[in-house]
Amino acid sequence: MAMKQTFELRVNGRIHRVEAAPDRRLLEVLREDLGLGSVREGCGIGMCGACTVLLDGRPVSSCLLLISQVHHQEIVTVEGLGGHGTLHPVQQAFIEHFAFQCAYCTPGFILSAVALLEREPDPDEQVLLEYLSGNLCRCGSYLNILKAVRAAAQGRKPPSS
Amino acid sequence: MSPEVLHPATLEETLTMLEAYGEEARPLAGGTALVLLLRHGLIAPRALICLEEVSELQSIQFNEDHVWIGAMVRLQTLARSPRIHTRFPVLAMACGEVGNIRIRYQATLGGNLAEADYASDPPIALMVLDAIVWAQRAKSKRAIPIAGFFHGLYTTALEPNELIVGIQIPYPPPGARMAYLKFRTRSAEDRPCVGVAALGIFEDGGCRDLRVAVGAACERPQRLPEVERLATGRSLDERMIRLIAQGYADQIETLSDLRGSADYRRRMIEVHVRRALEEVCNGGGAVGASAGR
Repeated sequence: MAMKQTFELRVNGRIHRVEAAPDRRLLEVLREDLGLGSVREGCGIGMCGACTVLLDGRPVSSCLLLISQVHHQEIVTVEGLGGHGTLHPVQQAFIEHFAFQCAYCTPGFILSAVALLEREPDPDEQVLLEYLSGNLCRCGSYLNILKAVRAAAQGRKPPSS
Repeated sequence: MSPEVLHPATLEETLTMLEAYGEEARPLAGGTALVLLLRHGLIAPRALICLEEVSELQSIQFNEDHVWIGAMVRLQTLARSPRIHTRFPVLAMACGEVGNIRIRYQATLGGNLAEADYASDPPIALMVLDAIVWAQRAKSKRAIPIAGFFHGLYTTALEPNELIVGIQIPYPPPGARMAYLKFRTRSAEDRPCVGVAALGIFEDGGCRDLRVAVGAACERPQRLPEVERLATGRSLDERMIRLIAQGYADQIETLSDLRGSADYRRRMIEVHVRRALEEVCNGGGAVGASAGR
């Protein structure tokens, strides 16, 4: 049976050396070993989106991934968005549109929106819902979240003359 | 105890490992189902064989008369591929209905089939496409027609040391019309209560070939050839559609779970087979492109 192993994880542009059992969930490694508190456990079965991370740019549930599955791929959490002292445009849009109340779901929603806009710079409503309908917000801030993501998408478009 | 996780780089290595461990190892594809089974203690393998880096399992190839979908191709890739959408719209639709976007970006077609959850969309679409599942072990390879692949709840024709390497799907004849309907009873990301796939080939206003598969309401996805044949050479009019919908509702042995009782599912099969056939007839169902490249 397997004991702890050393993994080199690529998270937010840095390489982290982690000692973990090979079947430890990525969610736990990010939160407990690397202190990335934006990655949150909600349902634990891939339905709520609170633990969303980007894996080579794909939005995935970190509660459904083992550390062994991801140690060659680039992982991004909300801590890795934006630059020094500046917010990512999606984060800025969430603030401007009050797209949260308790904010537990916010990092997951922001990463889903970032993944959406990376692939679809000018998303129609159907694609927008395809990317966001898998994230749950129990405060019910959905309308403001949609406004924020639409605004972020608008901001990325070149101004039309 | 934690299982050890093996990382083969080639198919040959993978099959050698499967042979060595036998039933004590489980292949790990996307992991969206397997990780939950591990956490709930429903399986406790000695080793997991991670397929992430096995290059032979990753590609989609459009060949002369069929497409080859590697076992590790993710559901989102199939849902969004323009060529899959053109030739096999029913498969693109079914893959696009699974779970939520995060599940579709991680789960694979091979993993989906191997899990054999009865409440799953892609297997239902593969039934009307007459897909062939290719399974391989160290020294042999075999083709399993999808109709014989599922044996029952979470059980398949696979032997313990066999691996799904890919799915082969013949191009449907030009002009084939297809539809997939997913009926949910709880939330948007839920598994289906009933799933219906339909494929129709029409000629001079009549129906040359009709295929209907129903799943999620029963232990494994099913087609009823004798009911399908009622439409052969006939017009798929309102009366015929109702006859076929009734046939599926009468003959499929439905099950009860938290998504609906057996009796409710029987009624919902009738409704959704009818709607799927209406979609196929009215051209609402996307039209499959001609065969070949």
